[in-house]
Amino acid sequence: MRKSWAAYLCLSVFLCVNMSSGVRAANVEISGAAKPIRFGLTAVVVRENLRFLDQWAYYLSQQMGRPVKFVRRRSYREVMDMLESGSLDFAWICGFPYVQKREPEFIKLISVPIYKGHPLYHSFIIVHNDSPYQSLEDLKGKTFAYSDPESNSGFLYPQYLLAQRGTNKETFFRQTFFTFNHAETVEAVAERFADGGAVDSYIWEYLKEFRPALVNRTRVINRSPAFGFPPLVARLGVDLETVWRMKRVFRGMNDKPDGRKFLDGLKLDGFGDFPPGLFDNIREMVQKIHSSQPRAKSKASNAGAITVKKE
Amino acid sequence: MNWPGLLPKGLSVKFALTITAVVAGVAFTIGAVIITLDWQRFQRELENKALLLAHSVAVTAPEDILQSDYWSLYKSLKNMVSQIPGGMQDTHILTGMIQDPNGIVLAHLNPNDNPLGMHPVHPNDLETRLFAAAGEVRSPTILSSGIGEGGFLEGVVPIYSDEKLLGVVRVRLSYSELYMKSLRSTLIIIGLTLALVVLGSLLGGAISRRITMPLTAMTEGMEIVGRGELSEIKPIPVSNDDELGILASTFNKMAKELAEKKFLEEQIAVSEKLIALGRISAGVAHEVNNPLAGLMNCIDTLKKHPEDPELVERYLPLLDKGLNRIKNIVESLLIELRIEDAQDTDRSTTLEDLRDIVESEINGRDIDFVWHNHLGEDVMINRRRVQQIALNLLKNSIQAVDESGVVTFRTFRDGDCVVLEVSDNGPGIPAENRTQLFDPFFTTKTNGTGLGLWIVYRLVESMRGVIEVESEEGGGTQFHVSLPAMEVST
Repeated sequence: MRKSWAAYLCLSVFLCVNMSSGVRAANVEISGAAKPIRFGLTAVVVRENLRFLDQWAYYLSQQMGRPVKFVRRRSYREVMDMLESGSLDFAWICGFPYVQKREPEFIKLISVPIYKGHPLYHSFIIVHNDSPYQSLEDLKGKTFAYSDPESNSGFLYPQYLLAQRGTNKETFFRQTFFTFNHAETVEAVAERFADGGAVDSYIWEYLKEFRPALVNRTRVINRSPAFGFPPLVARLGVDLETVWRMKRVFRGMNDKPDGRKFLDGLKLDGFGDFPPGLFDNIREMVQKIHSSQPRAKSKASNAGAITVKKE
Repeated sequence: MNWPGLLPKGLSVKFALTITAVVAGVAFTIGAVIITLDWQRFQRELENKALLLAHSVAVTAPEDILQSDYWSLYKSLKNMVSQIPGGMQDTHILTGMIQDPNGIVLAHLNPNDNPLGMHPVHPNDLETRLFAAAGEVRSPTILSSGIGEGGFLEGVVPIYSDEKLLGVVRVRLSYSELYMKSLRSTLIIIGLTLALVVLGSLLGGAISRRITMPLTAMTEGMEIVGRGELSEIKPIPVSNDDELGILASTFNKMAKELAEKKFLEEQIAVSEKLIALGRISAGVAHEVNNPLAGLMNCIDTLKKHPEDPELVERYLPLLDKGLNRIKNIVESLLIELRIEDAQDTDRSTTLEDLRDIVESEINGRDIDFVWHNHLGEDVMINRRRVQQIALNLLKNSIQAVDESGVVTFRTFRDGDCVVLEVSDNGPGIPAENRTQLFDPFFTTKTNGTGLGLWIVYRLVESMRGVIEVESEEGGGTQFHVSLPAMEVST
């Protein structure tokens, strides 16, 4: 584990040194030429690695021939709103927002990350390693941490599980709250602030490598079926040329040494083209929850059947 | 413990101790005041810190509480701990929590023991009391567990939104910081105080030395004056023109004048000695010369008429008389010289031995000799000087009285002195003779040498004694000699 940390550090240093000369050029490009491509990021990516993201943005800018700027927002909702309003061109979102019904539709799928050979991931229900809990049922009357109200793995799937059991989603747990970040959900459980939590398996495994002390204090008690990995989407208003190039840049990352390094940093195998049907099982879950709670009404025009729980 | 023995005697020590005590008293008092003020200041600082920290959480809390964003509440508590502002590195946050108006935990830094959405655990009365007090808080308040082992204080800040109470933030700080800071400042202050005391005692020592040094020197000087060794007085250094300086210079002046006076007295004594010697020499010459002229005449006449037996018969007694006179004078002088030089420890005599000599001196005359010796047999008069004094005085009295006169000898102990009294009922000493009484060769008798009383005087003087004469014309004479007992017996 220490070895991979060291490798990661070396990579970071290498990237930093290697690209510091190029940053100035990129700045010149940004100020002198085209308006930057704004790329939205959410809790899908571990937030802390600011330098990594800067370097990745620089890489993408070089590949695109246009400045690419990452825009980070706390919640999926904010990112979706920004896509709708046109202040974002691309975004890395979650399968749940992707499958939500939009009238009119304003995004389209461009690429899906490939993780451990497949464009798939899971939702993990985690508890503290020292706790006696073995199943979701054991968490009745306890505190539970969701990551984002529009996260598939961090909210939709546990809601689905509760709906399947026919229990009242609102009262099953004593207290629930949102961390808006998978990593923080792990923290909340590891620090026993929450008795249980729902996290993205990719983030949990990523953290297990880089923050083992944290993750080893948690234990997975429920592993969901495979879902389509949080995808990259483009706003429909973005010109096809740019969308096509972006798609190619992501797909080509695996073939380029620089790109390979970023994929290593992200612990991904690459990005690929997959059909929207990849996310069908998420859509089915939404529908099942919807049918189990006929009285629940969608408040937002672009929201799914799930209302954000506010107490 | 012998306190009187430990009590300082010298002014210099007393002075130094007094200054040290005063400095120590002042320093310790100021130190205690500063320590107390410091303690209060640190306590206020700690209270302000607790409130500041609680405020920092309370500021962002309303929105999070309204949105049930407990994770953000928890993180703001965590941030409060991990991003503690500069200058608060020593602060030890024991715990922190946010509770709603019903006392339900919304966030707690120790979530394992104080789960979200439940009442906090109260392991003891203190916690229960603090919990109840915190529930009543409507404005920023400090709660305290009381000073002591594991003591702490709590900054409690209510969270309001639109004048509605949403909960309170409780931030608990350990008093250990207070103890640590106070201990640090106390140690510094004690160190400074001790340093001040040491400095004060050094200063006190220096000042008292400065003040008492001339006094000590003067005391030593006085002692020297007491012993009469005036030439040994060293001048006291006059460093200042204050009272001590004036005293020192006055003393120096006095010592100098005394030394000069003594020097002059010694010179006078020397010249008096020379004068006396001259007078004695002249007296001897005169006394010896008088009979010599008669003797020379006799011898001349006998030379001219060697065959005249009548002349021989007439002149031989004259020659004999003249030579005897010269012999008496020389013997008297020799007696005195012998007494002054001899260490006569070989023979000890009591005064009773003297009695026989006096009886023989009376030689059958009708004189009433009264003898009162109250010294007792045990008092040894082993000095011939005392005998000589008594004998000379008694001889004078015996010669002075007529037939049926009374001569009394009395001796007794008076404190440290041995007193000899010789009295007679003779004609007394005429007033015009009294000043010359002890002069050598002064005599009223036709065949006296004029050395008897002079010898007595010299002997008394050599024994540091006193001789007094009481005499009335026609009323008799009394000599009173007082001699230190030490001089008499050793």
